[in-house]
Amino acid sequence: MNKDRPDNTPESEERRAVLGKMASVTFAGLMLSGVLARAQDAAPQKTLIPAEPFRASSDAHQDVLIRMQGELERAMQRPINERRWGMVIDIRKCIGCSSCTVGCVMENKLPPGVVYRPVIDKEKGTYPNVERTFLPRPCMQCEDPACTPVCPVGATWKREDGIVVIDYDACIGCRYCLTACPYQARTFDFGEHWTDNAAQGADGALALTAARDYQNPPNFEYGKHWKRGEGIIPKSPVGNARKCTFCTHRLDQGMLPMCVSTCVGRATFFGDLNDPKSLVAELAEAPNASILKPEAGTHPNVYYLK
Amino acid sequence: MKLSRRNLIKGGALAGAGALLGSEGTRLLAAIQATGPDGHDSYDLAQPENILYSQCLQCNTQCTVKAKIQNGLLVKIDGNPYSPMNMQPQVSYDLSPQSVAKVDGHLCPKGQGGVQTIYDPYRIRMVLKRSGPRGSRRWKSIPFEQAIQEITEGGQLFADIGENRHVPGFKEVFVLNDAGLMKSLGDDAAAIRSGKMTVDEFKAKHKDHLDVLIDPEHPDLGPKNNQFVFQGGRIGPDREVFAKRFTFNGIGSVNWYAHTTICEQAHHVAFLWSTAQWDGNWNKGTNHMKPDYTQAEFVIFWGTGYTEANFGPTPMGPQVSQAIVDGKLKVAVVDPRLSKTAAKGWWIPVRPGGDLALAFGMLRWIIENNRYDEAFLRNANKGAAKAGGEKSWSNSTWLVNAETGKLLRAKDIGIGNAEPLIAADQFVALVAGQPVAVTTDDEKSAVVGDLVVDTSLGGFKVKTGFQVLKESVFAHDMAYYADKSGVDQESIENLAREFTAHGKKAAIDFYRGPIKVTYGYYAAQAIIALNLLIGNIDHTGGFAPGGGGWDAMGGKKGQPFPIGKMHPGALKPFGVKLTRESSGPYESSTFFKRDGYPAKRPWFPFTDDVYQEVIPAAYAGYPYPIKILWLHYGTPALSSPAGHLQIKMLQDTSRLPLFICTDIVLGETSMFADYVFPDIAYLERWGNPMGTSPVTLTKTTKIRQPVVAPIPEIVSVEGEEMPISMDAVMIAVAQKLKAPGYGKDGLGAGYDFKRPEQFYLKMVANVAWGEKEGEAVATASAQDVALFVKARRHLPKGVFDLAKWQIAVGNEWGRVVTVLNHGGRFEAADKAHAGAFLGHTWGKQMNLYVEPVGSSKHSVTGKPLSGVPVFQEMTSFDGKPVTFGAEYDLALFTYKEIWGGQSRTVGNYAAQMALMPENFIYINAKDAKRLGLDDYDLVRLVSPTFNGTFELTPGETVSVEGKVKVIQGMRPGAVAVSWSYGHWAYGAKDMTVNGQVVKGEASRAKGLVPNPAMGVDGYLKDVCLTDPIAGDAAYGGTLIKLVKIKSGAAERGAVPKSA
Repeated sequence: MNKDRPDNTPESEERRAVLGKMASVTFAGLMLSGVLARAQDAAPQKTLIPAEPFRASSDAHQDVLIRMQGELERAMQRPINERRWGMVIDIRKCIGCSSCTVGCVMENKLPPGVVYRPVIDKEKGTYPNVERTFLPRPCMQCEDPACTPVCPVGATWKREDGIVVIDYDACIGCRYCLTACPYQARTFDFGEHWTDNAAQGADGALALTAARDYQNPPNFEYGKHWKRGEGIIPKSPVGNARKCTFCTHRLDQGMLPMCVSTCVGRATFFGDLNDPKSLVAELAEAPNASILKPEAGTHPNVYYLK
Repeated sequence: MKLSRRNLIKGGALAGAGALLGSEGTRLLAAIQATGPDGHDSYDLAQPENILYSQCLQCNTQCTVKAKIQNGLLVKIDGNPYSPMNMQPQVSYDLSPQSVAKVDGHLCPKGQGGVQTIYDPYRIRMVLKRSGPRGSRRWKSIPFEQAIQEITEGGQLFADIGENRHVPGFKEVFVLNDAGLMKSLGDDAAAIRSGKMTVDEFKAKHKDHLDVLIDPEHPDLGPKNNQFVFQGGRIGPDREVFAKRFTFNGIGSVNWYAHTTICEQAHHVAFLWSTAQWDGNWNKGTNHMKPDYTQAEFVIFWGTGYTEANFGPTPMGPQVSQAIVDGKLKVAVVDPRLSKTAAKGWWIPVRPGGDLALAFGMLRWIIENNRYDEAFLRNANKGAAKAGGEKSWSNSTWLVNAETGKLLRAKDIGIGNAEPLIAADQFVALVAGQPVAVTTDDEKSAVVGDLVVDTSLGGFKVKTGFQVLKESVFAHDMAYYADKSGVDQESIENLAREFTAHGKKAAIDFYRGPIKVTYGYYAAQAIIALNLLIGNIDHTGGFAPGGGGWDAMGGKKGQPFPIGKMHPGALKPFGVKLTRESSGPYESSTFFKRDGYPAKRPWFPFTDDVYQEVIPAAYAGYPYPIKILWLHYGTPALSSPAGHLQIKMLQDTSRLPLFICTDIVLGETSMFADYVFPDIAYLERWGNPMGTSPVTLTKTTKIRQPVVAPIPEIVSVEGEEMPISMDAVMIAVAQKLKAPGYGKDGLGAGYDFKRPEQFYLKMVANVAWGEKEGEAVATASAQDVALFVKARRHLPKGVFDLAKWQIAVGNEWGRVVTVLNHGGRFEAADKAHAGAFLGHTWGKQMNLYVEPVGSSKHSVTGKPLSGVPVFQEMTSFDGKPVTFGAEYDLALFTYKEIWGGQSRTVGNYAAQMALMPENFIYINAKDAKRLGLDDYDLVRLVSPTFNGTFELTPGETVSVEGKVKVIQGMRPGAVAVSWSYGHWAYGAKDMTVNGQVVKGEASRAKGLVPNPAMGVDGYLKDVCLTDPIAGDAAYGGTLIKLVKIKSGAAERGAVPKSA
């Protein structure tokens, strides 16, 4: 796996050493206990402070984004263990635009090769009787995730509100979880930048440096600032497994996940499945609701309407 | 929407927010405002001081956007929740920017990818002057002031690289600079055109000034000023006002061009004339209408859709998706390709170019079966429309002189008003067989005309416009149209039946698909006629002219800044345009007297912006040679069909003596320039406030404003700091020339024009004031002004200088802040409809019969044009059919992926490049089998006029080849290639700057641009096949063959089948 890593910097040598040691059960055990304890502390849950709870809206004439944002706010008033975040994707409304894919990349400053929400474009049938469907495929935030138990260091787990998270400070980049996920929802951060293959040099007649700087500010995943190239384990989240977080950093602010707010077809619904009055709970119960790969037995919290 | 200070948010008070947001939304906003620090790291993008509103330009939909700043850099772009383009309905305008900071609207992937258009490592920062032959890609950077000096003064500018020639500067074209003299010469040149003056009389009268003319034997060509040509790619409409002021009224040249004929001009032109109004002359109307998707029951997307391109997925996506899933709306999609929109409806895989035949089949069936709205069509004037419960009416019943193609006037047959001058403006309809004078906008007397008339009247053979259309449509039978369209007769009938089965709640949306052929104008007119036939104009669920926008030009009484008039000494340019567009009929020109038919190159009296013709005309020196070409943000060599033919023209320094460009990145055409000035990109600059497409039913004005620090260098222009840009070059050159309307008091006494915002902010002030007394937006509160300033803390002084901005608009400042804080001005969503009618209606005449076209002749063939659509196939300008040998067996057409623009999205690594690193050549599995092709086979595009490769620079060849993808969702016999790929510049190739090699990025050259394979006009042989009426470039109508270069077997093995 080391040959996949593009650079040979001293940091990366150090990471390789860590990865080598990881194979040792003893070492893994040491890592496991320490990291788990710390990771649970490191997921502070907060509640926003609305003075009074929201009632279900009676105003039909509003964008569904506003309704869902209201419901999200209502959910955030309750303790984390009473929330169960879920998503419903209406593939009749999905127009295959991939705005969710790109919006997510920009929001989370994902590097090349890291994708949280691809959209799959499929054709079926024979001319002229042809169907074409589009399937956005985020992390399913499974009730029984296949990805978490395989982590040798306990760096990934399911939060009380249902979101499967990764502790970048703990992840050692072994990529067992990538293989375990039946939905291929995890990708690996190889440390690339979008502009790696463009001309290099100082700013002069062209903006060779100035027009690269936008990649430097930290991203906001899990409500923290992650500056690429810094972290407890060198360079996290570079060298880590990465996945959709349902934009926890936005939920904390009372904001919808990016893929929801930028959905051009308004095909993506989000909210608390524990709130029977929420739109997402209503849609998840619809007769045309289904899940992907039920045979995998992981019980996704992402539903599809057909 | 009534706005008042009381309603404007102050300190988090949310009164007035409820109207649109609902009570839940109001509480939501209150709550998220109250969010405090909680121990987490800050989410900077949710903080109002890191948010600025502006306007996208990744495509011409130009959506409103919310730009988010982190560490002083643009990192995220979302939709503006105040705008109906990004949220439906949008949040109330009354909500403060603080309160909506955490509400994001949606935006398409191209819009999201815009961060990487702004921040592209190949962005130009300094002025580049070539240091080798044109196209050598050898450059040196020079100081801005030196560059301005050189292009203004001219001289031996390339002596250092051994070019021993004089290069003309602006001084040599800014020859006629006296407004009074220009007017006098212009008036008399017009008199020559109208036959009131001879050339000899002109020469005698103006003997002292003949030296300012291009050619004294042809004064109608205009002055030497016209030898300056401004060719804009993506210029309009957001910088149109600024650039036209410079070209027309500053330099005094008629030669200003946008790129519309490589976009969809036939669609615009057919609408402009179908909505033209008569007031003694025909005044062109609106350039398009759109279905009311929210309430329609049936919409035909004809060669377009709501999920890719068009006007565009962002405003259309939510409303159309919802209507379809709710079961309210059924859509049919006419397209040879199973597009993403076709996937959502009834797919009608028309033969490429078969659209006119399909429209004629539908028209024929509808007329034959009396499925048209007879009552609507019979309303001959405003009075009839009113009495009949309509807003608009048509000229369907007006009589046409069958010999001349002119509409009969009351005066012609001695009826109507006793005053002949008035009777000359009255038309004629038959009412129960008797001729009646028609005054089109007469509200009092209703004229309900006879629809089917073919008779003689007062010695004239006359027919109604409807009759003329009927005869044209009945020229062929249904089987013929089925054959030509490739859609079987039953399907044509089913489509026509469905279209006419929903009363007025049906409409046809079209854009570019059906009209990029040499008969594109007629195809567009036929589709407009289909809409007219069901009388859907202005109706809820019908055909909408859109909500329009507020007048930014200050033309309304009381508006603070009448921009058009704020131009002391403005020149009024005259003469024939280089492309002979909008330059009157050929027959009245002195060239016609000299040459007669055929014209050496066609004239285009009915259209504008014949983009693909600018460089070929300059090269041909017809109608005159030019001296300076300024190409702005355009790349005609890449984007025009057969545009590669322009490459050798661009390298000819004798016919194109000075070639300057403004652009953000060196492109496929600007690589041949003499000087390239960096431009500020769309989020670094201003734009004139603009309305939006009729997709939005409510009144909307979008504002582009600088929201990030500019990449180009900041320089001093006559003492004022500003980034190098198109704006800066214009301001600098104009001041150097002392051209009217720039510098001190350039906008009138007390109003300098030394900086861009001195111009743009005045237009914002007009929008803020509104169009009538009492319509102004609220003045920003102290808190809102503080936010306004704080949110611009990352902008350099050369861009944002509070005092300078304030001075530019004086007392209007507080209202200007309100509009800028919202990214525009937006009417409340509930104004979209007013019962059975749309909230904003056309309420005027529509033309089933277009008189100006119908009474004119083709400038090359000399044959009459038609006032109604006629069935045609592909022809060259000389009228000869375009033919193909049997080996050319695939009909080429193009489309756009949603993540791709024309020519500037290849640097969008996270959008276009990640989603689809290269484009493909899509064919049906049947064709693949027949041709022995499979996925990933590398093939070359070859047509009768293109052998598959072209020479870019001496010894350097570009091959037009790409990989095959075999699909079912494609009509057999058709081949589709998308836009946005196949770059030979824009960072794709190495170049040398100041002696250093700047490496190109190979990934930018991937895929192909299919344009070189598109047909060349058989008459001119130096430009693509073109519609002679609309001047529209034919991207369709070419048959090609695919020549296999390499097997794709290896790649087929490597890529999983499902990918």
